[in-house]
Amino acid sequence: MSSRFVSRYSRRQFLKTSLAALSSTSLAGCGWTLAEVRSDRPQTSNSNELRIYTWSNYIDETLLKEFTAQTGVRVIADTYDSNDVMLATFQAGKGVAYSVVYPSDYAIAKMLDLKLLAALDKSRISGLENILGKFQNSIYDPGNRHHVPVSWGTTGLIYNSEKLNPAPEDWDYLWQNRNTLSRKMTLLSEPREVLGASLRAQGFSYNTTNPAELRKAYEKLADLKPAIATFTTDAWRDQLLAGDLLLAMGYSIDGVLVAQENPNMKYVVPKSGSSLWTDAMVIPKTAPNPEAAYAWINYMLQPAVAAQVTERLFFATPNQAAFDQLSTDLRDNQALFPPDSVVERCENLKPLPQKSEELIEKYWTKLTSS
Amino acid sequence: MSSPASTSPSESTVSKDLATPRWLEPFALLGPAGIWLGLMLVIPALLIFELSLVPGIRPGEVVNPSGLENYFQIFREDVYRQVVWRSLGFALGTTAICLALGFPVAYFIAQMVPKKWRNLVLVGFVLPLWTSSLLRSYAWITILRPTGVLNSFLTSLGLPALDILNRPPAVFIGMSYSLLPYMVLILYASLEKLDRRLLEAAADLGANPLQSFWKVTVPQSLPGIAAGCLLVFITGLGDFIDPELLGGASSMTMARLIYNQFLGVTRNWGFGSALSMMIVLAVSLAIALLLKYGDRSSANL
Repeated sequence: MSSRFVSRYSRRQFLKTSLAALSSTSLAGCGWTLAEVRSDRPQTSNSNELRIYTWSNYIDETLLKEFTAQTGVRVIADTYDSNDVMLATFQAGKGVAYSVVYPSDYAIAKMLDLKLLAALDKSRISGLENILGKFQNSIYDPGNRHHVPVSWGTTGLIYNSEKLNPAPEDWDYLWQNRNTLSRKMTLLSEPREVLGASLRAQGFSYNTTNPAELRKAYEKLADLKPAIATFTTDAWRDQLLAGDLLLAMGYSIDGVLVAQENPNMKYVVPKSGSSLWTDAMVIPKTAPNPEAAYAWINYMLQPAVAAQVTERLFFATPNQAAFDQLSTDLRDNQALFPPDSVVERCENLKPLPQKSEELIEKYWTKLTSS
Repeated sequence: MSSPASTSPSESTVSKDLATPRWLEPFALLGPAGIWLGLMLVIPALLIFELSLVPGIRPGEVVNPSGLENYFQIFREDVYRQVVWRSLGFALGTTAICLALGFPVAYFIAQMVPKKWRNLVLVGFVLPLWTSSLLRSYAWITILRPTGVLNSFLTSLGLPALDILNRPPAVFIGMSYSLLPYMVLILYASLEKLDRRLLEAAADLGANPLQSFWKVTVPQSLPGIAAGCLLVFITGLGDFIDPELLGGASSMTMARLIYNQFLGVTRNWGFGSALSMMIVLAVSLAIALLLKYGDRSSANL
């Protein structure tokens, strides 16, 4: 160290600055970004291969085979069972493999927030005009610039109509009939849906950020808890059909499937309203094969394809032209296509600020552990 | 590097002839496993430890370790303590059940089954491990539900039906069923080497069967018992599926809580990492205790 340098900087000052410099470089060194999805990745994928990441309800062998027959592109489909799992695995690095993903509404908003989604080139998509007007402008993605809706539905109650008389009509039913339903009902294993139902039963919004309202929702659920058999999204089906459960909270898509197996099982959207969901197709910025992704979206938008898939897999298409091709049975199925009066009472789940999410997580842990 | 004094002359000439340094051999043999362990275990564990020092980190954020806040959170709130106790309870209970059920079975296979049948019986016992654990849990739902296999059987005998599904007993049943084969395998390995002459000597000297069991058989198989219990305990602590599917509305365990931190609404990877480190710590502690006291008791023999 030269004497001139020392004279200009006192030793203490030097120590301070060098420490600062050292700590900032070391922090920069270990300050790596957790699970960053890079978008500058060179696109090296084989053009004859399309990987999609979707819910298991939305695909079957026939669909994939017909697409390959039409376009010559081979499809590899991976499935997930919750948006949060999809998002976490996507961010953990698995995302770069996929050219099409099927997030639900608030997951679209989260992915937009994280800048993971490519803006769609609408000139390369045909058939968008068939999508019903109410699905043309999502609150999560104004103008649908990044997604194409593929399915929609509600959350509600699936019940055994033989054994439950009078039939449930609203969320209140769970509390009023807790003795009949004791240990014979399940709720979803989804914090926002379950807390939301309790919020709605008390006249609050699914998307409240008010801690007092969230607390009331938790307390009401804690009160019901001894009567709840378990929280599960999937494991209730056999038990409901076997008569061990009388009621399960579930998605309309599951309600319709169970009703197909046993007509005594009915699906109802609670009167005071429930949550409304849409699942959509998006193309990530990191998509290795956007060409094939557009081909897939166009294929799914073909009215004939959308109608066939609806007939086969029982999910509600937002595609008017496809709807018109459905059998009358399916078109009149109110569980699958609820009338507008019902839809109006339902809410979309909006993304919440981190504080509220943490609160919900905490209440959820409390609810499932005490 | 100087060669150790114990090296025999012939060995040292061989190594001189090949002109390879002495450290190369163990290095070459242990290297691949070492690299594997380093890359797949040590480095990830260190990364998780680093993440556990960042309060509330989510994917996409910069990792800047800043303190033990995540660990304090575990102990500050009653909920998390409850979850920790429940996990320990499930794991310990399962270990006890597996030991109680597994010991007689392992003893039977090792000492009473004719030698030529032994392997077949063992394979038969381990066979359930080949099916998916998810499938096994769903099978238990079918068996335990109110009108399921078990209760149909009980009512046909005129016995009252049991309401076990979605309660802790169901978790114990599911977990014990999954982990019993591990216990039996390990106990079998240790009981097979049982010195029968000692049992005969005990009988000659007037010990009744119960005395010779506690004073001769158990001490001889103690290392096996300890290893089996440890394996079942550790695996039980991490079990995710059985509590989730069989345990009902109040069955949150550490494993599920960690899962929720990583894949749930909040995606709080920092807190999840802290919880993971707590499990690693608990397991390390169990192993350390075993090494310390397990050895002493076998030395007492």
